[in-house]
Amino acid sequence: MANKKLQQAVNEFNQVMKPVSLWADAWKRLRKNKMALISLFIVSIYILISLFAPILTSAGVLIDYRKQVITNASLPPSLKPAGELVVKKIEARIASLEQRVKEKAEEQSAFGSFFNFGATDQTQPESAAEATPSDQGDTSAFTFTYQGEGFSGNTTDPVVRELISQKETLEKVKAELDTNPDYKLVYILGTDDLGRDMFARIIYGGRISIAIGIVGTLTAALVGILIGAISGYVGGWLDNLLMRFVDIMYGLPYMLIVIIIMAMIGEKARGSFVVLFVAIALVSWLTISRVVRGQIISLKNSEFVEAARSMGASSWRIIFRHLLPNTLGVIIVFSTLMMPSFIMNESFLSFLGLGVSAPDASWGTLVSEGVRAMESYAWQLLGPGIAMTIFLFCMNFLGDGLRDALDPQSKNRT
Amino acid sequence: MARYFIRRALSLIPTLFIVITLSFFLIRLAPGGPFAREREVPEAILQNLMKRYHMDEPLFKQYLRYMGDIVRWDFGPSYRYRDLTVNEIIDRGLPVSMSLGVISLVLAAVGGVAVGIISALKQNKWQDYVAVSIAVIGISVPLFVMGPVLQLIFGMKLKILPIGQWISTHGLKAIILPALTLSFPYFAYIARLSRASILEVLRSDYIRTARAKGLKESVVVWKHVLKGALLPVVTYLGPAFSGIVVGSIVIESVFLVPGIGRPFVQSALNRDYTLIMAEVVVYSIILIIANLVVDLIYGLLDPRISYK
Repeated sequence: MANKKLQQAVNEFNQVMKPVSLWADAWKRLRKNKMALISLFIVSIYILISLFAPILTSAGVLIDYRKQVITNASLPPSLKPAGELVVKKIEARIASLEQRVKEKAEEQSAFGSFFNFGATDQTQPESAAEATPSDQGDTSAFTFTYQGEGFSGNTTDPVVRELISQKETLEKVKAELDTNPDYKLVYILGTDDLGRDMFARIIYGGRISIAIGIVGTLTAALVGILIGAISGYVGGWLDNLLMRFVDIMYGLPYMLIVIIIMAMIGEKARGSFVVLFVAIALVSWLTISRVVRGQIISLKNSEFVEAARSMGASSWRIIFRHLLPNTLGVIIVFSTLMMPSFIMNESFLSFLGLGVSAPDASWGTLVSEGVRAMESYAWQLLGPGIAMTIFLFCMNFLGDGLRDALDPQSKNRT
Repeated sequence: MARYFIRRALSLIPTLFIVITLSFFLIRLAPGGPFAREREVPEAILQNLMKRYHMDEPLFKQYLRYMGDIVRWDFGPSYRYRDLTVNEIIDRGLPVSMSLGVISLVLAAVGGVAVGIISALKQNKWQDYVAVSIAVIGISVPLFVMGPVLQLIFGMKLKILPIGQWISTHGLKAIILPALTLSFPYFAYIARLSRASILEVLRSDYIRTARAKGLKESVVVWKHVLKGALLPVVTYLGPAFSGIVVGSIVIESVFLVPGIGRPFVQSALNRDYTLIMAEVVVYSIILIIANLVVDLIYGLLDPRISYK
């Protein structure tokens, strides 16, 4: 009993102290940082959803992200079933068309006595985007008036033709409202221009973006650790050579080189995101290798390394079992902060059309598709944009929190 | 100082050499050439095209020829824009891209430092919280999300700013949105950086000394704190400028700015060999010179650094 107590650490009040490992200590500090904890929570949710997305789809919780329902194209985010939204959308379109026909009828009656009565109007620059719903109360009365003027027979007029076809569609949709399963779908984040569920697309886009982030970071970290450790431990001419190489690579405008690589690989290979992350990872290991090298140099002459060496440990063993575990904190912090920049770079390339190509889509692809439609369908841009921003935001906060927790000395540095 | 400058300026050459060589062979070794299109070109025409652009020569000879041309600052004809030489495309776009980049850098630096000072002096008051939140948002929102969203708000909904193009069509107003978007992440980072370093300097001994000898608070802040605190900001200006230059590629595409960024992406997709190479050379020179300038400014600000 007494013997056991002797072996344990004891404080000035002779109380037994539990040994606190680096990780327990770091966790304690991280727990105090509310923002970092919330970020950790949100990041975990993103990763879990991404992992289980295929299961969610097959269970019917998520709509298949490839499923195109052309009747449900470009619906706004809503908790109502798609059918109602489609009806509302067609009604709004009909109302605006009727408004236009009415205006034209007035124009026609003003000029009709002077000019050719049956003149067809071919100038229809307005698009669906500018359709504004007007009051629908006077629809029947108005229809009556313009029929009364003998205008309805003029089916060469594109507005009238569209009005008629839209009304037919409306009838069809209303009839099918209860039978067609497509009208029962609920799109909480709306749909894109092909009628695909934005929510599912964002989740699947996130899967690709996050996967590239994780795999790329791991690759870059591995290369960086290996080169940094060898360079720091061996020293001498090898260190000189490797670090000059890193210096030169630093001087290169690497994003330009990635753009060139992506452009040169060609359309087919570009689609596979393996190529994409390799291209980014190839140039992202530089900082980590420098940091690891610095850590190793400062540690390699310490007593515990001497001890290991005197007991006959090989260089590899010293590097991997003694030195690297001591640099793990720095490596984790750097990797966490590297991941958002990876995701950002991947999306940057996808945005320019040099990244992931169809049918796959990353967040960058979704944003660039959203930009094209943003004037009329803002949610197609905002959905993926906000989803991506939240993730990056949390990763940045988590990285900062981890740095404060694992490396308290650098607390006030950014 | 002068010797240091010359040495640094000379060290530009090997880096540039590596960039050019690397890009040249990356581009040439990839399958498919600039004339590979959907429509099959007859063999005889292809032969003539290859001859016109010296592509029938051995690769190494092409490389030497290209190096010689670059030394004379002659980038040759564009493969895709038949009426233009690459030099014309670059000459037209470069002033636009440079002014966008420099305006964004100045915005980011001045705005960032100003916000940093305010939030450091008002630490843990509401001004500080607002500044820190803006900074974190700025770091997390990607440029290509920020740009379109600003276009949507100010251009399409409020209709107070033009959503695209440049001074020639919209006057000076056209600069506002692209420059704001491009500078925002760097503004945010500089604000964070200067806040942290001002807080650190405020705790240092020489500030206590300055206060102890009875200097006015304004003198302490403006003369003593800032000079010490701005060093990390200056170091960051180099990477910030590189980021702005690369970011401008996307911003130019989003805002239809007629700079050199859009032709770069286009040429990469079109395999317009001469244009890609010229863009890489120009971008590399800009980036390398920017780093050199930052190093020199750093030396002027920090008396502890001497150049040999």
